[in-house]
Formats: sequence, C-alpha cells, structure tokens
Amino acid sequence: MQYDFQLEGQALIATLRGELDLHTSPEFKDTLTKLFETHSTLKHLIMNVKGLTFIDSSGLGVILGRYRVIQERGGRLFFVQANPQIKRILQMSGFQKISEFANSTEDVLERV
Amino acid sequence: MKTANWIKLEIPSDTRNVAFARTAVALFASQLDWTLDELEDIKVAVSEAVSNSVIHGYSLQEGVVIVEARYEGPELSISIEDFGQGIADIEQAQEVGFTSIPEERMGLGFTFMHEYMDQVLVASEVGKGTKVTMVKRVKDVES
Repeated sequence: MQYDFQLEGQALIATLRGELDLHTSPEFKDTLTKLFETHSTLKHLIMNVKGLTFIDSSGLGVILGRYRVIQERGGRLFFVQANPQIKRILQMSGFQKISEFANSTEDVLERV
Repeated sequence: MKTANWIKLEIPSDTRNVAFARTAVALFASQLDWTLDELEDIKVAVSEAVSNSVIHGYSLQEGVVIVEARYEGPELSISIEDFGQGIADIEQAQEVGFTSIPEERMGLGFTFMHEYMDQVLVASEVGKGTKVTMVKRVKDVES
C-alpha cells in the first residue's frame, strides 16, 4: 500500500495505490488524522482511488472516521476514479449518501 | 478432469496474513469459472472473516487461524476458524452496523460476507473460538 497527500487550498488530495485493509489502514489513518489536526482550515477530502486495488470494512472505517471531521468543518468527501469493484463496495456501505464520485481531481477542485 | 479440490492453511493471527489469506483463497478459487467481480467478492468475504479472527477472536494478540477452502463441482466452501474468545451473541454480531469497537470499526464485516457469498454459517462458543463457513456457487451462465 502506498499513498501520498497533496494540499490544495481547503482540500486534501489523498492518492492511494494498493490494498487498504486491516494491516495497511492504521498507518494511513494516523497520517490522515494528523493532517486534519495540523491543518485546521482543511475541509474537503478528495480520495484518488484510481490505483486502489482492494478495500474492505477496515479501510472503509478509516475513511468514515475522517468523514466525521469533514462534516464538522462543513466539507465534502469525494472519490475520484473508483474502479467498478471499489465503487460497488462504497455504494453497498452507504458511502454514496455521504460522498460524491468524480472522474478527476481537477473536476473536484472546480466544484469546491 | 477432477471436479473436487481443497486447501488448508494454518496461519498466525497477524494483520499481514489477512492479505495472504484472501489472495491464496482467491487463487485457489480461480480454478472454478468465476467472473472477476465474483473473485473480488470472495476476496472481500475472506478478508472480513480473517480480520474478525485477528481483531475480535484474538484482540490482535497471538493465535492461530485455520483457513480451509474446498470445492466440489460448482460449489465453493470456505471456512475461517479461530480459537479465540468467541462470540456471545452470534445473531447480534451479524446485524448491520454492529461492532464491539464502534470508534474504529464500521460493523460491516458480516454484512459483506452475507452480501458477497451465497451462504454464511457462524458457529461460536465463548472462550473456545469461532468458525465461519461461507458457500458460493458458480452461476450457470446458460440458465
């Protein structure tokens, strides 16, 4: 699992590659949590999941946990370039109610 | 051609082995004629069951998880067994959103297993462990 982060104004772009599960999610969660703590002006989380090949409830739990902060700050959660399998599990877990799907980070940055 | 086969893995309760278990089972399962989506379903279901053993069965401590997969004809059966703390209320544990660790978990593990597999059976005894058996059948494309 590899990830990197990019700050764009009030948005944090998280780009993920590989598998987000019980083993890989704690470190990702800690980094994401610290970024939101350090940057109090951050509102939106843009998850670029083009390279994400697997996610289960452990990985989804990390994202949902951060959504609570995003909500408190009046921000929005986006998933960019989710493959059909990732989109399916996100929809099944109810993420379509709290997040938006997009084709590119540029599209999202124009919207927020 | 033989129409039955099986594997049995005995692995330590280690978070690294969640990926190993799901990949190994998916590789074995790929001997049957699944779609790519169905193979992904199997990976998610195994990942959830093994994660449950590691987190809930053994509370991230040492333990052994037995992963077995077998098929006969079009029916694949997978069982994940631990010898950890067991589940006091099996019905409640399988409710959507139920988790004993609400601050960290979504409580969707069993939901995904039920959604992605045709059948899920849970046998558990407090203090002795839990065995989750999941069945999925290859769909007959002509029917």
